[in-house]
Amino acid sequence: MADVGRHPNIELHAYSEVDAVSGYVGNFNVTVRKKARYVDVKECTACGDCEDVCPITAPDEFEIGLSTRKAIYQPFPQAVPSAYVLNIDECLGNNPIACGKCLEVCDKKCIDYDDKDELIHIEVGTVIVCIGMDVYDPTPLDEFGYTRHENVITSMEFERLINSGGPTQGHLIRLTDREQPKTVAFIQCVGSRDANRGNPYCSNFCCMNTVKDCLLIKDHYPDVDIKVFYMDIRAFGKGFEDLFQRSKDAGTIYIRGIPGEVEEDPETKSLKLYVENTTEGTMECHEADMVVLSIGAIPRKDSSTIQQLLTLQRSQDGFFLEAHPKLKPVDAATQGVFFAGCAESPKDIKDSVTQAGAAAARANRLMMQGKVKVEAITSTIIPDLCTSCGICVKVCPYNAISCDTKAKTPATVVEAACAGCGACSAECPFGAITMKHFTDVQIEAQIDAMLEVDAKDKVLAFACNWCSYSGGDLAGTNRFQYPPNTRLIRTMCSGRVDKRFVLRAFARGAPIVLLSGCHFADCHYINAVHWTQRRVEKLWDELEKKGIRPERLQLEWISAAEGQKFATVMRAVEELRQKVTAEEIEHTKKALAGVLEPRKPRAATKKATEQEAAAQEAA
Amino acid sequence: MAEETKFKCLRCMSEFRLPYRHGVTEERTCPNCSSNSVRRVKEDKK
Ligand code: SF4
Ligand code: SF4
Ligand SMILES: [Zn+2]
Repeated sequence: MADVGRHPNIELHAYSEVDAVSGYVGNFNVTVRKKARYVDVKECTACGDCEDVCPITAPDEFEIGLSTRKAIYQPFPQAVPSAYVLNIDECLGNNPIACGKCLEVCDKKCIDYDDKDELIHIEVGTVIVCIGMDVYDPTPLDEFGYTRHENVITSMEFERLINSGGPTQGHLIRLTDREQPKTVAFIQCVGSRDANRGNPYCSNFCCMNTVKDCLLIKDHYPDVDIKVFYMDIRAFGKGFEDLFQRSKDAGTIYIRGIPGEVEEDPETKSLKLYVENTTEGTMECHEADMVVLSIGAIPRKDSSTIQQLLTLQRSQDGFFLEAHPKLKPVDAATQGVFFAGCAESPKDIKDSVTQAGAAAARANRLMMQGKVKVEAITSTIIPDLCTSCGICVKVCPYNAISCDTKAKTPATVVEAACAGCGACSAECPFGAITMKHFTDVQIEAQIDAMLEVDAKDKVLAFACNWCSYSGGDLAGTNRFQYPPNTRLIRTMCSGRVDKRFVLRAFARGAPIVLLSGCHFADCHYINAVHWTQRRVEKLWDELEKKGIRPERLQLEWISAAEGQKFATVMRAVEELRQKVTAEEIEHTKKALAGVLEPRKPRAATKKATEQEAAAQEAA
Repeated sequence: MAEETKFKCLRCMSEFRLPYRHGVTEERTCPNCSSNSVRRVKEDKK
């Protein structure tokens, strides 16, 4: 931390929050709120005189409430910058009966009760998201008695207790009597690996943290008995199995089974743990003077704010989602944004450092180039056709489009931010957006060509490049049989499939149309696939209104790994095709004949309206 | 808590109930044939 503070190329904004981010890779504009500190950082020497005279005490957040601090305080001993901060909500100085003691005692005159938040605008090329994590609150798991028994503490609280810089200078004591415990029990996986109560994922570092704690206790207090209750100990990683063995050799007892109940002796405040030992197959009761709940990691509560600011994705567990789990593990889907540490998933110090190094290198590499290669397939607005309705702005998962709906100026696309999903193009009601290499004309030509001969015998399927189309490839390479009358049209994302394409296919005599894309969690364009689903739902209604059976439009999510599913779907869809009658097809062709006519050029309409208005005015 | 509503599979035509939150687009799968062509059936107001 101190090195970061001193580094000539690092500008550190401590006690600050990001308020807004705009722009795109290479050109991000970040608004930082530098929170009022009420202490002049440059002048403060952290002498502590103010703290000595401050009459207010409050729980110390850094010590998780195990000790107190004053209303004016240094957040923690090694905090950078090394200066005090005043919590104005706790301070009496701002109240009518003013206190002002710190102001009086400060030789340097650093304290300013009227300090205000300051907004700073900075321009950056890349952003690394490393907001860390929160920890699981074990209150709902009442069987462990965290809120009822004082000697049941969390692993975070234990961490402060045995830290030499902590509230007890590292002396291991029980909270009830400040005596050294004779037996300490650890309960693993509290809030982790349980989908019903807590979180389904493994928090990654808790097992090794407990092993480390056991070794620490045994080092300092060899006579303390330690029992660890676990589901399974996950000691993968360099040197970890060895540490685990050492803790066993030092006398730590590992018991497979998670206690179903922790009871407190009202007099001694010691605890009884009732557990099924699943190795022995026995019901057991163990006593302990102190119980440590090895709590898991959860995403930071304010993750959604950062998610919105940077248009990021989060996986089901709530942590930020990387662009690719294997090939781009530190990149966000938004170009120029990277992840480090537990923001992306729970990880230990070593993995966090590794990922931080990788993120810094990825960011550096991008900036050193000076130029960024943008997607070749991007959207282009046709200004003459754009009515400035602003729909595309809402559609774009990457915030690549801006449009001033009040000023009625045509929408504009930042090509560097556009990933090329094509959802905007499909959603624009006026045909004002074209996709390079996947234009309407190109796709319509494919539809027409595929259905030119014997349309009634074909299944027309739209498949997205990354998942469904690759799923089809896999079906082929794995020799999964599927009907040969399938005709595939590839688009980058299923979100590109304009409703006009589907209607055109029906108007050309297609008995069945299949739209297939990535599973929601795999969408390569953040959430563009949501637009596919919404569009298909509307299309089902529209078809039904026109007397066309909605089931003739099928929707499937097929991943690149689901070759088998691809083949199964194609066989099922072929069965549906066989049930479509010639009369139905003819009726559909008539009902949808209008869609084959070229789109009414909006520009002509727009100009005509303007001319009309002008003529009226002249008259 | 998401309420449940009626859905119909447009592949096997079976009807079933699934959680539904207004305005939320979710991936849905037919419990009978695993198809994703799952359409919400607008229920008559009681
Ligand atoms: S491009 Fe289309 S969707 Fe976007 S503002 Fe213009 S008319 Fe509306
Ligand atoms: S193609 Fe996709 S990423 Fe590009 S502007 Fe349109 S919606 Fe946004
Ligand atoms: Zn079904």
